[in-house]
Amino acid sequence: MNKVKNTVLYVFSFLWCAITLLPLLITVLASFKNNDEIYSGLFSIPKTWRFSNFSNAAQTADALVSIGNSLLMAFCTTLMVTIIGMLASYALSRKSFLKFMKPLNLIFMVGVMVPVHCTIIPINTIATAVGGKDNYFFLLLVYTTFNLAQAIFLYTGFMDGIDRSMDEAAIIDGCGDIKLLTSVLLPICKPIIATEAIFVFIYGYSELIFSLILISNEAKYTVSRAMLSFTGNHTIDLGPQFAFVVMAMIPTVVIYILFHEKVEAGALAGAVKG
Amino acid sequence: MKVKRKDYVIGIAFVLPALILILCLIVYPVINALILSFQTWKGIYGTPRTWVGLKNYTGILSSEIFWKSMLNSFWFIVGGFGVLMPLSFGLALLITSKLKFTRFMKTSYFMPVILGTTTVALMWTYMLNPEWGAVAQLFKFLHLDGAIFDWLSTPTLNVWCVVLVNEWMYAGYNMLIFAAGLVAIPDELHEAAIIDGCNGWQKIRFVTLPLCKNSFKIFSILCVTGCLKVFDIVWAMTRGGPNNVSSTPAIMLYTQAFQYKLFGRSGAYSIILLVFGLILSVVMNRVFRQESDLYS
Repeated sequence: MNKVKNTVLYVFSFLWCAITLLPLLITVLASFKNNDEIYSGLFSIPKTWRFSNFSNAAQTADALVSIGNSLLMAFCTTLMVTIIGMLASYALSRKSFLKFMKPLNLIFMVGVMVPVHCTIIPINTIATAVGGKDNYFFLLLVYTTFNLAQAIFLYTGFMDGIDRSMDEAAIIDGCGDIKLLTSVLLPICKPIIATEAIFVFIYGYSELIFSLILISNEAKYTVSRAMLSFTGNHTIDLGPQFAFVVMAMIPTVVIYILFHEKVEAGALAGAVKG
Repeated sequence: MKVKRKDYVIGIAFVLPALILILCLIVYPVINALILSFQTWKGIYGTPRTWVGLKNYTGILSSEIFWKSMLNSFWFIVGGFGVLMPLSFGLALLITSKLKFTRFMKTSYFMPVILGTTTVALMWTYMLNPEWGAVAQLFKFLHLDGAIFDWLSTPTLNVWCVVLVNEWMYAGYNMLIFAAGLVAIPDELHEAAIIDGCNGWQKIRFVTLPLCKNSFKIFSILCVTGCLKVFDIVWAMTRGGPNNVSSTPAIMLYTQAFQYKLFGRSGAYSIILLVFGLILSVVMNRVFRQESDLYS
């Protein structure tokens, strides 16, 4: 009985593994094929490995440039969210005796709840007014803002859990606020910073809607945007399209394989705040 | 405790960057969208806006396409509770069970979320291609040739295709939410249940499910609010087409403004979306709070 049950469970779990991983495998295989091979079957192994598809995608769609752009955005967003978020959380957690901190907490909570899409038109208008169209710095501020509320929520929760006697000892030793934050609290907060950082990084890398409305210069396309326009324009050669998708996956997949425990924890932390 | 001047300075200085960003890029835009929703505007910077009262709202609420888009969001919710919830709960049971290879399974189940929505959407657009896609090939192999047609441009069916791809993508993510709930259940309870004569199914029904209530709460709130604002995956797979039949409210919001230049109407869409989202999350919280009061 138990054996039968286990077999059923194994079959089911490997079936879902196949359903999850096969599309990835097919995409990777197809990225080495030409049109004839793709038309005749996606499941087969390519007869010759056409690396030219990749260079083709890199040339005609500026794939590498857009991936670089996205990586830059993701990296900067993560940095900004961490710095600004930690500063604000320090104030919210350690200066909570100040009277204006409570209403501030509420404002940050509102930031967690507002759906991104509600703000696209006003943000588009603001961008036109301040010259933020096609401007990475403005896009960076937008990305940062939409991750900030959640980051502050997580960091503040974590910092509230750190024992105050640590602070007091540091203050007696002559630490000021800045020193206390950077050399005492920051190292303790590393786990939560790491989990949130991975979450923000993936968001910054694959974000779509703001790059859709704020970026119109093709040279500045982020990876999601560039992929969509490439697959929309070039319907003739399929190999390079698959190659582009594969190249776009590489950075996040590598990060995931290296830090998968952290990524999973980060995803969970992001979910539980809801 | 005496509040020092220095504390004020530090407190304000530290909180200011975050506050400015959130006020300028979230709070102000929401207020702006609210004002815009009572006006008409062609979206050209510097041109005047005219007040039209509630016309945008009545226009939206009486348009068929709005209700169609709400229905599509509703399909996402149906898919979420009917497909995603059992699937990810099942996967969570699997990866927390005593089977072998659970680490490998966990890593591979979670993989799709990492890829990003656009990548997933494009990948599945290829898989679903009616001429050479993997799904079409599979159907041919199973001699189901009649079932092969252009799924992504057939109304209603294309919404379901997107819904299923969405479930494919997020199954691993929600699996983690459930798994976190499952590992928090102490082993003694399972042992006690077995001593009391529960079989496997009864154990899940009477021990595991009730104790995972919190995970179900998190799942429901994320699912309902997420389904209302789904944009990326639909945009990348169907562009809301053909003829807006697969649009969601978020896509309508975008197309009304940036394709039809009806910025006032789009503003009204934003406010409707926001209000619906807030109402739903309050309702969800209320539903689950009452239940937990009943049980405790």
